[in-house]
Amino acid sequence: MRGYEELQHTADVALRVWGRTLPELFVAAAEGMFALMGAPERLDSERELELEAEDLEALLVDWLNELIYLRDRYQELYSSFDVQVWPSWRLHGVARGGKAKPQGALIKAATYHGLAIGRLEEGEGFVAEIVFDT
Amino acid sequence: MAFDLGVLRKLDEYLFEIPASYNAGMRVPARIYADREILEMAARDRSLEQLANVAWLPGIVGFALALPDIHEGYGFPIGGVAATDMKQGVISPGGVGYDINCGVRLLATNIDAAQARPFLQALVDAAADAIPAGVGRGGDVRLRRERLDDALEGGAEWAVQAGFGRREDTEHCEENGRMPWARAGAVSSRAKERGGDQLGTLGAGNHFIEIDEVLEIYDEEAANAYGLRKGQLVAQIHSGSRGLGHQVCTDYVQRFQSVVKREGYRLPDRELVCAPLASQEGQDYLAAMSAAANFAWANRQVMTEFMRRGFEKVGAARGLRIELFVVYDVAHNVAKVERHTVNGRSLELCVHRKGATRAFPPGHSAIPAAYRAVGQPVLVPGDMGTGSYVLRATEKAMREAFGSCCHGAGRALSRAGARREMTAEEVRATLAEQGIAVRAGSAKGLIEEAPGAYKDIHHVVEVVHGAGIATKVAYLRPLGVVKG
Repeated sequence: MRGYEELQHTADVALRVWGRTLPELFVAAAEGMFALMGAPERLDSERELELEAEDLEALLVDWLNELIYLRDRYQELYSSFDVQVWPSWRLHGVARGGKAKPQGALIKAATYHGLAIGRLEEGEGFVAEIVFDT
Repeated sequence: MAFDLGVLRKLDEYLFEIPASYNAGMRVPARIYADREILEMAARDRSLEQLANVAWLPGIVGFALALPDIHEGYGFPIGGVAATDMKQGVISPGGVGYDINCGVRLLATNIDAAQARPFLQALVDAAADAIPAGVGRGGDVRLRRERLDDALEGGAEWAVQAGFGRREDTEHCEENGRMPWARAGAVSSRAKERGGDQLGTLGAGNHFIEIDEVLEIYDEEAANAYGLRKGQLVAQIHSGSRGLGHQVCTDYVQRFQSVVKREGYRLPDRELVCAPLASQEGQDYLAAMSAAANFAWANRQVMTEFMRRGFEKVGAARGLRIELFVVYDVAHNVAKVERHTVNGRSLELCVHRKGATRAFPPGHSAIPAAYRAVGQPVLVPGDMGTGSYVLRATEKAMREAFGSCCHGAGRALSRAGARREMTAEEVRATLAEQGIAVRAGSAKGLIEEAPGAYKDIHHVVEVVHGAGIATKVAYLRPLGVVKG
């Protein structure tokens, strides 16, 4: 039970992402972001990330921006992710992907604009809305 | 989400104000150059709410300002200006944006568009082949780290010294293509790794190279000074600081999160994070942002030289000598240290322009000598199917708008909305009907930047012309487009 959908935003791109757990939320956000850019041809690269942030929102923004950095640094796209999150606030993540030519709008960064990680109303789970600079 | 236009006060035919009493956090009022139609468009999304939020910035002076190309951004609106006091105020990476010194360079040729008609596609292809485009694409200019540091501190001047172009190219650049506050050491090694190989590359999104015809001249005196004449073939480059600039912004937005807590700033949105200009963090960002701006100027300079060589070849094959001159180069995502008079007092300010162009009046010492009598050229590109304007700045812009003007048409339709309403084939067909040659990196990118996705450029320019902060000099019609 994780997912994402594109929201209306005049100039940039915004996503609503959700997951049953915090790691699922982080995976959904990464999947949604890379779905906007295209898919790698093969999964032949694996990148590992260790992050620390002051709060949960900052950890989510850092996670996505780290993936954008890796995209540009290695000219790769990613489509498969594993995430572990520990309170106050640390993340261990793995991104799998490979070389690819991205399509459409270039995502330059994930922003903090209006960002709040909330509880899903129905049942258990987390939801966030993220605006990206394109 | 809609903004209540009832709170606006009309100050002038084209100038409106959101009073500082609109919410508890505003330190100054917020102003917008607009007419009724533009206000109604801006009221539909978060543009005006975001403008009011800018007025919360510590040390903001006079008013937060928006131009008629305003549209919804993240934190700050696009099409806005915020001037903060150098001593008491803050600097905010969000007020510059991720694409630091995204800007436009206008190039003039020595030939007529009519002459170029038969080989227009060859010119478009020459530009597209010489300049790599697309997301994260690296270019042919790979620099060793110490050379990259030279580029970060030397900007367009460095590029000319390195063999990309001529001395006079940089004379016709804002800041002569080099911000003096730059320090390569303030730019993280990650930013250098991310964008260091992207010098001389266009990028994706709304970036473009366009070949145009000067269709109309409205102001002969200024057009003469700028070297523009009716029927002339000209070209524009719209690009920025690539991944290097994006990473500088990301780094400092992250670093400033804790600065805001330390300083106890109350802000309505975390993307407005800022640091005192008088702090180490603030000075570091000013130095890093300036270095990224210089990288963008070096980038546009290298691309200019690539295009120049490409055009020369196309001409030579036809027994024609095609030359390229830089008319002007403006930054539209940048923060600059400038002196302005506010309420009769001369103040040193940090002027943030996000999706706004500097517009300095006749006589200002920062304008190239050849243009000083008429004022700085203001370049306002429209969408790829409509056209672009060249304006001249006025004394009124200096007095009332912190020497600023609009930067483009401004989006009216979201990227997702554009994808729902059009197909790439329809966009290609529309452009072909108008005789516009296209080379696009991706179909998705072409649709998202389609003419219908933008506001009417004529309308935006009528407002700034009517308001008197810039006046019309020339209108350019697109003949060929290269998209990332």
